[in-house]
Amino acid sequence: MSATRRIRAETTAAFQSFVRRRTAVFFTFFFPVIIILIFGALVQTQPTSGGLFAQPPAYYVPGYLAVVVLFTPLSRVGSTVARHREGNRFEKLATTPLSRVEWLLAHTLVNVGIIGVASLIILALVVTVTDATIALSWLLVPFIALGVALFCGLGALLGSVAGSQDGVIAASNTIALPLLFLSETFITPSLLPAWFRPALDLSPLSYFARGVRAATMGPTADAYGNLLVLCVLTLLFLGAGAIALPQTD
Amino acid sequence: MVLNAENVRREYGDTVALDGVSLSVEQGSVFALIGPNGAGKTTLIRSLTGTTEYEGEIELLGEPPKRTDTQRIGLLPQSFDPPERLTARELLEYYGGLYDDARSVADVLADVGLGDKADTWYESLSGGQQRRVCVGIALVNDPELLVLDEPTTGIDPAGRRDLWRLLDRLTADGTSVVLTTHYMDEAEYLADRVGLLADGSLVATGPPQQLIEEYGGRSRLEVEVAEDVDAAAAQRAIEPIGTGVDTTGRTLTIQGVTPRAIGDVLDALDHAGVEYDALSWRQPDLESVYLALTETDTDDPPAPDTGERAEVLQSG
Repeated sequence: MSATRRIRAETTAAFQSFVRRRTAVFFTFFFPVIIILIFGALVQTQPTSGGLFAQPPAYYVPGYLAVVVLFTPLSRVGSTVARHREGNRFEKLATTPLSRVEWLLAHTLVNVGIIGVASLIILALVVTVTDATIALSWLLVPFIALGVALFCGLGALLGSVAGSQDGVIAASNTIALPLLFLSETFITPSLLPAWFRPALDLSPLSYFARGVRAATMGPTADAYGNLLVLCVLTLLFLGAGAIALPQTD
Repeated sequence: MVLNAENVRREYGDTVALDGVSLSVEQGSVFALIGPNGAGKTTLIRSLTGTTEYEGEIELLGEPPKRTDTQRIGLLPQSFDPPERLTARELLEYYGGLYDDARSVADVLADVGLGDKADTWYESLSGGQQRRVCVGIALVNDPELLVLDEPTTGIDPAGRRDLWRLLDRLTADGTSVVLTTHYMDEAEYLADRVGLLADGSLVATGPPQQLIEEYGGRSRLEVEVAEDVDAAAAQRAIEPIGTGVDTTGRTLTIQGVTPRAIGDVLDALDHAGVEYDALSWRQPDLESVYLALTETDTDDPPAPDTGERAEVLQSG
């Protein structure tokens, strides 16, 4: 009961703090919309021509979702940790009953909620703009939630290691950009050198992309294995992120 | 004792931030830490509250700091900045929600004098009002021990006095307080005991009045003689009255002059035909102690006098 009360208090404050930063809210939703408009509407897919964007529109749905599932929690949680450090908030929280796990869980819940809404907008936009034919599987819910949680854990790690908000932003961009394009999202493995392809398995985002693709394009059975791997990785990253959060100076 | 520290030591690489600090705080009392910037006050506060590593022994409410029931302590860290885009009320609700048992938010807001600013965003409050919200955050769990790192920094004089009255009420109800401050009048007014920290060591500890008597020196009278007066002659005229007279330019400083003896000095000056422009009397205070125990570099410009000073006479 106490833990529930603490997590609710932290979640409420984090949510209010976020939704009142209009610029942050606007760009959280606008960024993926830009990506869809550029790649889905302007570039468009060319299924017979080979090269980039040669797959059916539905193939790229995991990529569009990955933009928010990856970038938003990574930069948001990382920046939040950096702001907390700069404002000595963790020093204060260390003298309250709130644990580091509870703190990270609360901020993960906020991100899951925000990115859940953003994902719905993305799915609606992708179907409308690109004529993608996808199945709206219930499996999308755990994939998005786990993907967000995983990158919240990574964001907490980054925020704890980086010295400032600027450092967090630079580090998160450096990590997120290659992950976004080298995780079977927008670039098919066949376009990559054979020697590099095993490296795709090292990216947590690959399991998200494969799973979401299986859930939306089939075969659905392929989604479960990826969901399991994503679940294990999420627990590992969340645990590592919670441990890394500063509790002392 | 609500707090007992023995031989606390903290190093950062080659830098010794705390070097064998020992102190104790009794229930319902106020312990004020004073000292120059970089003396180790914040490191000591962090050690006492378990938010940094340390060597030595600390008992906070009978337990090592990291095992102390967090419900029983309230901390205001130095330079604390709470989450943004929340109102004063929401901030107190947030921090109150982290405890099993929290005070009424309305009561805390009233205590820190912000009842009429409850729904104002923290960023829109003045610096002093923001600091009062932060003090409220430290109070929201009704702690037995309140630890405040520079609680009144940025608060205007009236706000500081409001906060002093609040701390008076809390200590009267049994709350113990450890605070750091750069305001000597604050330490002198609030503290039952003062600890002067310099270069990581506690160089003096005790009730303010005791420290003043031990280290503050004697009261002194300063006489600024008229421009055409021979200061050396004036010094000779009043030497028999004080226990020591120094002359710097046109200013004569007479040590150990009691308020009753001021008249004797004036009589001596009149008798010698010495004219003067200004006369001031200064009683030793905690700042005198601070300066006496921390000023080591004699090339530094003298710190401004802010102790209790009586402007006895301003003559043309």
